[in-house]
Amino acid sequence: MLTRRNPLIVLMAIELMWNAANLAMLAFARAWLNNAGHVFAFLVITVAAAEAAIGLAIVLATFRRARNVDVDEVASMRG
Amino acid sequence: MMLAVIWLLPLAGAVLLWALGPQLRERSGIFGTAVVLASFVLTLTLWNAASEPGGVHVPLFSWIPGFTLGLWLDPLSLLWTLIITGVGGLIHFYSIGYMAGDRAVARFFAYMNFFVFAMLTLVLSDNFLGLLVGWGLVGLASYFLIGFWFDRPSAVAAARKAFVINVVGDVGLMFAIFVLFANTGSLAYADVFAKAAELAPGIVLVACVAIFIGCAAKSAQVPLHTWLPDAMEGPTPVSALIHAATMVTAGVYLIARCAPLWDNSAPARELVGVIGGVTALAGAILGLAQWDIKRVLAYSTMSQIGYMIMGVGVGAYEAGVLHFFTHAFFKAQLFLAAGLVIHALHDEQDIRKMGGLRTRMPFAFVAMLLGTLSICGVPLFAGFYSKDAVIYGELLDGHPWLYGIGVLTAGITAYYMFRMLFVAFFGGDRSEPAHGAGEGGEHGAPAWIMRAPVAVLMIGTVAAGYLDIGGDNSIWSRFLAPDFVGANLLRGGGPRVSDLVSSAIVLVAVLIGFAIAYVRYGSKAALADAPARLARESSTVPPVLVRGFFVDDLIGALIVRPAQALGTAFGRFVDPLVIDGAVRDTALLAGVLGLFTRALQTGLVRGYAIVIVVGVACALAYYAFAGVVR
Repeated sequence: MLTRRNPLIVLMAIELMWNAANLAMLAFARAWLNNAGHVFAFLVITVAAAEAAIGLAIVLATFRRARNVDVDEVASMRG
Repeated sequence: MMLAVIWLLPLAGAVLLWALGPQLRERSGIFGTAVVLASFVLTLTLWNAASEPGGVHVPLFSWIPGFTLGLWLDPLSLLWTLIITGVGGLIHFYSIGYMAGDRAVARFFAYMNFFVFAMLTLVLSDNFLGLLVGWGLVGLASYFLIGFWFDRPSAVAAARKAFVINVVGDVGLMFAIFVLFANTGSLAYADVFAKAAELAPGIVLVACVAIFIGCAAKSAQVPLHTWLPDAMEGPTPVSALIHAATMVTAGVYLIARCAPLWDNSAPARELVGVIGGVTALAGAILGLAQWDIKRVLAYSTMSQIGYMIMGVGVGAYEAGVLHFFTHAFFKAQLFLAAGLVIHALHDEQDIRKMGGLRTRMPFAFVAMLLGTLSICGVPLFAGFYSKDAVIYGELLDGHPWLYGIGVLTAGITAYYMFRMLFVAFFGGDRSEPAHGAGEGGEHGAPAWIMRAPVAVLMIGTVAAGYLDIGGDNSIWSRFLAPDFVGANLLRGGGPRVSDLVSSAIVLVAVLIGFAIAYVRYGSKAALADAPARLARESSTVPPVLVRGFFVDDLIGALIVRPAQALGTAFGRFVDPLVIDGAVRDTALLAGVLGLFTRALQTGLVRGYAIVIVVGVACALAYYAFAGVVR
């Protein structure tokens, strides 16, 4: 995620991280017989969906403004 | 209960006039007058009850537990209430004619009713707190009415001056109330006065002096008198009601009311007597050099209140209060007569431009003449009884110097009053308005509306003093007796001169004053070359009199200008450097901090991501190691 300049790839990387975290939680839930892990996994899936929607919306909005979605070029927030 | 109605009626009138002014228009004068006269009639019904021991006491409500505010009508407050509503009602009536045609009649009567309410609050209160409220409210009403014609800059300045000086007095009075409360634990007159004899002399003296500061500001005593002549910027009925008959005598009321305090402090009595004497003399001397008919009367008011203060100060309470009573009639009449003249001459107030009005305005002349005879203390007129009683009281109390001042002032009074009368009413007319003056109705109102109240006042101007005939057994003494029972009236010790001899001495002084005025202004020779003589005299008046003994300049140099300099200094240094400086430096600090922190905002999304990763890694590492250590 840190090395890519295309925001879509960055978003995909983030999704992968979410999934990794989900897998870990499910594994721990199974190992310790604690259903809280399952609950958290569902929560993460929901949040991930919302995050993907917002992220893609930001990408679309950025593209409409600048005709460019390179994350290093979009730096108008520089102080 | 009736007392509360008497007290609140004028307030209701003021509120209604204020709210319904545009609808009432020309009828607002009749409404305002009716309200005040209704209060007067209701007060008359309480006469007998008020004269009984204890008077009429109406507890209204408890403000804070232990502080019951109430109304109290005893002979002293009954007297003031009757004058406020009675003479006040007449002046309201007169104003219907005087203010006809003014575009703010309703506002005028709303203010006048409000003043009557404020003054009733002052005199009817049964405690110092209510007194202070009334004391402040009359100052406010006075401010409103002096500045009634607010498009005149001089009127606005005069109103502001009167208000500021009155507030100085309010602060003094408030301080006195603090002192009294701290030492007696109560604010009710009855409680405070019951403990007056037990208080330490120093405490009583401090309280009396502080009260007197309030009295001096309200009653135009030296050196807080300078607002009174300027207050003549208000409409003439206002001058008659507030700045002659009622408000300015509030100081006399307060000292008479607080007689138990004064009786326990000889130095305070000395102070009040001396200040009263100085004011009487100073007012009379300043009256010598005035050309404005209202300013002559204003200085004579100041001088007469000096008499009253001098009287109540030395313990001649009955005489001082009697002088208030007679003064309310003759001074109101003088002002209203002056108002007739000013009205007929289209707002001309300079007596040099009048002349010859005796034949053209006989009614105003008679009113002015009766008032003048009364104020000068000519026998059989009201002023004779009260003024001579005050002057003789000085002698009875062992103050020959104050007696001398009283006699001298009486002579000067006769001089300047007859000077005004001769210059304004005798000889030939000296200006166009004086030539055209007449007594027909002006500005659309019938003439009798303004004449009727003056005619009623004439009765008091002549006869008010007869109440005092009979010495200690007179109607007057018996009427006021409940208020001054046990009061240390006069200490005696003065030279043994009978009051007849004293009156004769005063009369000689008055005759001398009259004679000089006659020779200088009233004789045939003087009238013949009046225009040239008056012009010559105007240019040779010593500046010390024109500028009122430089009191205004002194106050300006000692207080006003240093205060302005201080304000300027604060405006130039403290405000921009300290106050604004603090604000500006705070902003600067935020800016400087921003210079450093903005470098962190690179705008590079991947940079932020790295920061997050590193931060999370650090946090994880901390907890991991913390776990190990634990």
